[in-house]
Amino acid sequence: MRRVALALLGSVALAGCVQTRQYADVEFAPPQGDYKLLVMRPDVTVGSVTTGGLVEPRADWTETSRAKLLAALRAQQAARGGNVLIMEKRNSLPGIDPEMIAELERLHYAVGSSIALHKYSGAYLPTKRRKGLDWTLGEDAVALGRRTGYDYALFLHAEDSFASTGRVALQVLGIAGCVVGFCAPNIGGAGQFAYASLVDLKTGEVVWFNVLQAGSQIAGIKMGDIRTDEGAAQMVDRLLDRMKPGRNVQRREHQP
Amino acid sequence: MNWSRRAVLGAGGSLVAATATGVAEARIMPKDMVPLIGPGYRAVDQDEKGMSQQMERVEEEISGSNLLIKDPQLTAYLGDLIGRVGGPAAKDMRIYLARIPEFNAAMFPTGFAVVFSGLLLRMRNEAQLAGVVAHESAHFLRKHQLRQWRDVRRKTDIFSFLAMGAGVAGGAAGIYAGDLVQLAQLGTILSLLKYNRTLEAEADAMGVRLLADSGYDPMAMSETWDQLIGELDLSAKYRRKRRDRDFSLFSTHPSPESRMADLKISAEEVKQPGKSYDAYRARYLTALAKIRPTLLDDQVKLNDPGASQYVVNTLAKDGWNGLLRFYEGEVWRLRNSQKMGDEARAAQGYAAAILYADAPPDAWRWHGIMLLKSGKRAEARAAFARYLQLAPGAPDAALVRQMMAG
Repeated sequence: MRRVALALLGSVALAGCVQTRQYADVEFAPPQGDYKLLVMRPDVTVGSVTTGGLVEPRADWTETSRAKLLAALRAQQAARGGNVLIMEKRNSLPGIDPEMIAELERLHYAVGSSIALHKYSGAYLPTKRRKGLDWTLGEDAVALGRRTGYDYALFLHAEDSFASTGRVALQVLGIAGCVVGFCAPNIGGAGQFAYASLVDLKTGEVVWFNVLQAGSQIAGIKMGDIRTDEGAAQMVDRLLDRMKPGRNVQRREHQP
Repeated sequence: MNWSRRAVLGAGGSLVAATATGVAEARIMPKDMVPLIGPGYRAVDQDEKGMSQQMERVEEEISGSNLLIKDPQLTAYLGDLIGRVGGPAAKDMRIYLARIPEFNAAMFPTGFAVVFSGLLLRMRNEAQLAGVVAHESAHFLRKHQLRQWRDVRRKTDIFSFLAMGAGVAGGAAGIYAGDLVQLAQLGTILSLLKYNRTLEAEADAMGVRLLADSGYDPMAMSETWDQLIGELDLSAKYRRKRRDRDFSLFSTHPSPESRMADLKISAEEVKQPGKSYDAYRARYLTALAKIRPTLLDDQVKLNDPGASQYVVNTLAKDGWNGLLRFYEGEVWRLRNSQKMGDEARAAQGYAAAILYADAPPDAWRWHGIMLLKSGKRAEARAAFARYLQLAPGAPDAALVRQMMAG
């Protein structure tokens, strides 16, 4: 019995985790001072994890979280001194065709998926080794920068989910089973997934990319909650606040 | 407690068998299919609201897609069509036409439908198209996507508890329950598909009724299925394969044969004596006239000669014309099998096409090339001259002139 309790304690301690992994263009220097940042319409989905482990989207939670994330983002950027416009809709930029924004969003979706595949999912490309982040949105992004005068565009995606009562009950049963030797102490299923992608509108290149994952293997234990003010601020902080410069920039800084 | 593992497995197996085959697939009556929503319907329940919020984003993407055919006349025509067969929610539904050469259409839970251009190509008249649109409308009117989601959710919920419970009970009794759990999982999947087939049958039954209520010949729906079966068979035969016959178990849709049979009976049932029903073929031809060449072109370029030939022949049941003869030739030219004598068959197609006043300029061009190949220079020259006369701005005009001179 003591052995079971110890094993359980061990898995509980290991189960919760928050991790971020960022990549940057080798020449990337985090924007500072008087820069103009355009935040593309954030893509937010919040849902509830059913007993069976499916994520059921919740309209009210999604709306709340979107509003809280936008507020947290404004506060964070105000502290850094940037000049920021957050696009709440595709037509939020006066004089810019919403179709142009839509096209850029779709292009970024394709490029971002490629970054996720080749930088995060293990399908590493030999041609991109030791090159930091080497992806671009090309002329379309440069054209947007020229027409609007913005220096950077930030693309954001955030998902959060919470275990339903049934899921928690299932988890309780799984832990209780440990007593008789059938142990399922970490059925998991809920948690956060988010990414941010910074595009330099002068060159069109994706200069910085960060992925955040936060979740616990034990249904019912939360590692964050973007439906609350603190939770939204925490996600923005985890995702955006520790931008590291690119490799070449770091090397020059460290030279005597 | 002392269960033998075999006894446990046997019991599990028969349980699964009961879910899969125990319920006979009775025909769903069109008269039972009442709409579950009225005009201006908005999501009520929490799960439904979440779903429709996501669907708003999906519709935003689809409506801005560059795959859409945005011809205003054609769009208006499709809008009117769904307005006729859409039942109480007719005014709320939207329809998008995507340029994809496949036999398909889909309805989304917020009332917008996507119709593939390949569907328009295959329909012989407006009633056939209206039948498919009515079927899709029925998915919306009967809240099928939501009901399907709830069914999946309920079954996976039950499965999770059963699996966990079986593990815990097995652990307590000292039995390994892995095999049993796998069987239960198969049972869950089978019953999910079963539910989906029921919903498709519901949509068929209601579709027939919507069709007849708006004055279309309700037999059109079973004709459509007849055509689909014929096309799948011929396509498979040309590829020396058999059409997928494993429809019944692992498929979301009922088998085309059983659907067709049910649709025929239902169509007879919904017809009212004394009322006249029409297929509206002329109206359909007018609406499609502008894009039909594109639709045929997309189809023959799929390089699926069996399907393409079937489609051309099906449309030709209402009478051959220059366009159909030309694409008949194209099917063989693109397959280009020497053993089957495809070049000669293509040449025959072009030669037949130019006998019709509506032959496209390309029919004259290819007719000329085929004549040239068989050494009939003078006749080829005449055909090329006709081509240049019909299409003076053709991108290959200079090349054709050179062929005439040389």
